[in-house]
Amino acid sequence: MTTMTQTAPLVRVDGVTKRFGSGDKEMVALSGLNLEVREGEFLSLLGPSGCGKSTALNIMGGLLEATEGTVTFSGEQLTEPNRHIGMMFQQAVMFPWRTTLENVLLPVEIFGEKKKDFIPKAEELLEMVGIKDFRDSYPWQLSGGMQQRAALCRVLLHDPKLLLLDEPCGALDEFTRESMNQELLRLQDYAKSTAVLVTHNITEAVFMSDRVAVMSARPGRLVDIIEVPFDRPRRPDLQTTNDFIKLVAKARQMLELQ
Amino acid sequence: MAQIAVDSSPKKKNFLRSPYMLTIALLPIILAAWWLATTVTKSVPAILLPTPESVWIAFPRVLGADGFGDQVLRTLTEIAGGFALGASVGFFLGVLLSSSSRLRAAYLPFLSALEAIPTVILAPIIIAWIGFGIEGKILQAAIACFYAVFITTLSGLGLAEPNAVALMKSLRASKWQTMVKLRIPTALPVIFGGLQLGATTAIIGAIVSEFIGATGGLGYLMLRYRSSFDTAAYWVIIFLFLVIGLVVYLTIWYIEKRFVFWRRIEVTRPDLEKQ
Amino acid sequence: MTTTAPPPTPARSAPTPGPTWWERFRGGSAWIVITTVAVIIAFWEFFPQTGLVNRVLFPTFSETVAAFVQLLGGGYWWDDLAKTMSAVAIAWVIGVAFGFTMGVVLGTSPFMRQAITPYAIAVQALPKVVLAPLLIGWLGFGPESKIALAVIICFFPVWIDTMVGLALPSANEFKLMKSLKASRWQVFTKLQLPSALPMIMVGVKHALLLAFTGVIVAEILSASDGGLGKLTKEFASQLNMGLVYSVVTIVVILSITLVSIADVIERRVVFWSEESRARRK
Ligand SMILES: Nc1ncnc2c1ncn2[C@@H]1O[C@H](COP(=O)(O)OP(=O)(O)O)[C@@H](O)[C@H]1O
Ligand SMILES: [Mg+2]
Repeated sequence: MTTMTQTAPLVRVDGVTKRFGSGDKEMVALSGLNLEVREGEFLSLLGPSGCGKSTALNIMGGLLEATEGTVTFSGEQLTEPNRHIGMMFQQAVMFPWRTTLENVLLPVEIFGEKKKDFIPKAEELLEMVGIKDFRDSYPWQLSGGMQQRAALCRVLLHDPKLLLLDEPCGALDEFTRESMNQELLRLQDYAKSTAVLVTHNITEAVFMSDRVAVMSARPGRLVDIIEVPFDRPRRPDLQTTNDFIKLVAKARQMLELQ
Repeated sequence: MAQIAVDSSPKKKNFLRSPYMLTIALLPIILAAWWLATTVTKSVPAILLPTPESVWIAFPRVLGADGFGDQVLRTLTEIAGGFALGASVGFFLGVLLSSSSRLRAAYLPFLSALEAIPTVILAPIIIAWIGFGIEGKILQAAIACFYAVFITTLSGLGLAEPNAVALMKSLRASKWQTMVKLRIPTALPVIFGGLQLGATTAIIGAIVSEFIGATGGLGYLMLRYRSSFDTAAYWVIIFLFLVIGLVVYLTIWYIEKRFVFWRRIEVTRPDLEKQ
Repeated sequence: MTTTAPPPTPARSAPTPGPTWWERFRGGSAWIVITTVAVIIAFWEFFPQTGLVNRVLFPTFSETVAAFVQLLGGGYWWDDLAKTMSAVAIAWVIGVAFGFTMGVVLGTSPFMRQAITPYAIAVQALPKVVLAPLLIGWLGFGPESKIALAVIICFFPVWIDTMVGLALPSANEFKLMKSLKASRWQVFTKLQLPSALPMIMVGVKHALLLAFTGVIVAEILSASDGGLGKLTKEFASQLNMGLVYSVVTIVVILSITLVSIADVIERRVVFWSEESRARRK
């Protein structure tokens, strides 16, 4: 009876393999990936560059088709992008001909909804990430960190159930990255959504996540999953505690053992 | 203008489904349309576009005509001479202006004005000055192609990254060394774009100049064929110009590909772009 | 664009006593310009008087200025000006519309774009002015032949720049649109077209110049209808070089004005493009 109380996973990745090219040019980017993402958790995909993290994420977002295997989202098989899934990439992808606010409102236009209905929410989000004063500026008048914050607002505008984050802080400097990560955690909690973060930064993965899925390179496979037991909200000084350092060391060892 | 380039990506396995099958398939369609328009429906006047057969038949007649080789040679000389002259002056001035911000501030506005001027307007002056001979055609072609090479050289030389310039400075490289070892190699891909454009405009300059007044050359020949209403022969020379244009284009493209191999290659992910 | 301040820039350092006007003049580039222009005018004025060249073909500077004043006062060239400019305008509009349509039709799908590229290269490699005598022979000496030639010459950059521009968005940008399940039409209007616009504007500007070139070539080659090109050729054949220079000067002023206007419009329309931004600085 106790198993019945456990909620079904939000995402279920079942034996997903992805091959690019064909014939002698064929390369296996991802091999037999099995993964469950639980409702409300923060999961990281950790692995060296080129191990297929982005590929896995793109398949979970419906951007890429798996060669073999299936992805289930909210109990239904996922074959195309879904408006309950929001994605963020390493680049903020801001259109230079739109102001910050207009960029944040882009999904509203694509979904064919009324912009007016979403302006208050967009402004609220911009305020939360501290760039409300720049709502009418163009992206090229913003720093990289500010652009990425705006991208975060854009992705949160429609309360996605699932956030897929492909190294969203990868292009930022260390300080900006740290505060951006705090922002991410805060807003994920606020929006009560589930998040999958792709990163090759071990500390970041451990600090942010409830669980860290460690992947190996070529062909990309899942090595193991590390549970991260620390309480939330997490403060930066967590990173200097012994328990934290031990977990980081464990993850590092897993990555190096392959 | 944007560059269009021959695609040099690795061969696709499935050639039958590649876009180039469509390219090949379009050729007979174009020929058929030409034939239909001139022979069957006769919707295009023969004075503009003769039938494919008549052009085909005219080929040996035009190419075998007395002194034809001389005319071709003359036009090619004009184009090559004009291109060589215009491109060298353009390159030299580009380097000169890039090396001094003062010269740039002083002369760039004048030279930039050249971009806006339809250089053909100078043709009557050049002919009045130096007559119908080959020198005038070379000068016209040179003026036509100068600007493209000049401006691409100048802007290309400014493309070197600040970090790379700092590196050269830290090595105590001289201005000349920085130019030869950093700025010019960085600029080459851009300069080749200018050469490509310059070659095209040099050809145009030479032809226009021949049309306006010449004693020989392919343009002169074209006018003669037209005044005797031999449109088929005229089209043979149009095709010849197409061949000349293509050969020049591909030659420059090949040289660039061969010697500017470090040109930045765009990384594309076709599976994501195709949608 | 002036609504909010960009990220703060470091404050200017306190003003130091400025250089005298003479130091500024010496250090700047104005004296180079002035000297150069003075040398050219002096050469222009005195070289023909040395007798080394034919005075008829090389009028002095003052004679040229006199001719220019005479031309401006004469007023008979207004008609030619109108003929040239109206032909340029019509050809430009047609050429841009045609080139843009071709670019969109052939450029939206990568497959089509690749298939058509060899033909685009062929069209680029062919010097399209070779068609001038044929067009004049067919359409006569009126405005039609000028316009036809100018259209054929000027549609090309618009076509290519549209085609290339539509392919400019990065894989990431396409990915964002795809993750939002944008339709093809939405991808086109919200991503591809705005991304392409700066490049299309370059093509449109280039087309303006080419239309001008096309019209002038046709005017020089055909004889009767009039226009600035024909005027130049006529004066040249009368060996009235002062007037030839004057007409050429008018053409130069016109084209530079047109291009400057086009530049201003371009910066307004595609204010976000890197080039517009660089020029604003
Ligand atoms: N569209 C594609 N075509 C061919 N190979 C690809 C493509 N996308 C990714 N790959 C390859 O698959 C492997 C995994 O890529 P990716 O998922 O981007 O890695 P990661 O995000 O972990 O750095 C890499 O070797 C990459 O070169
Ligand atoms: Mg990646």
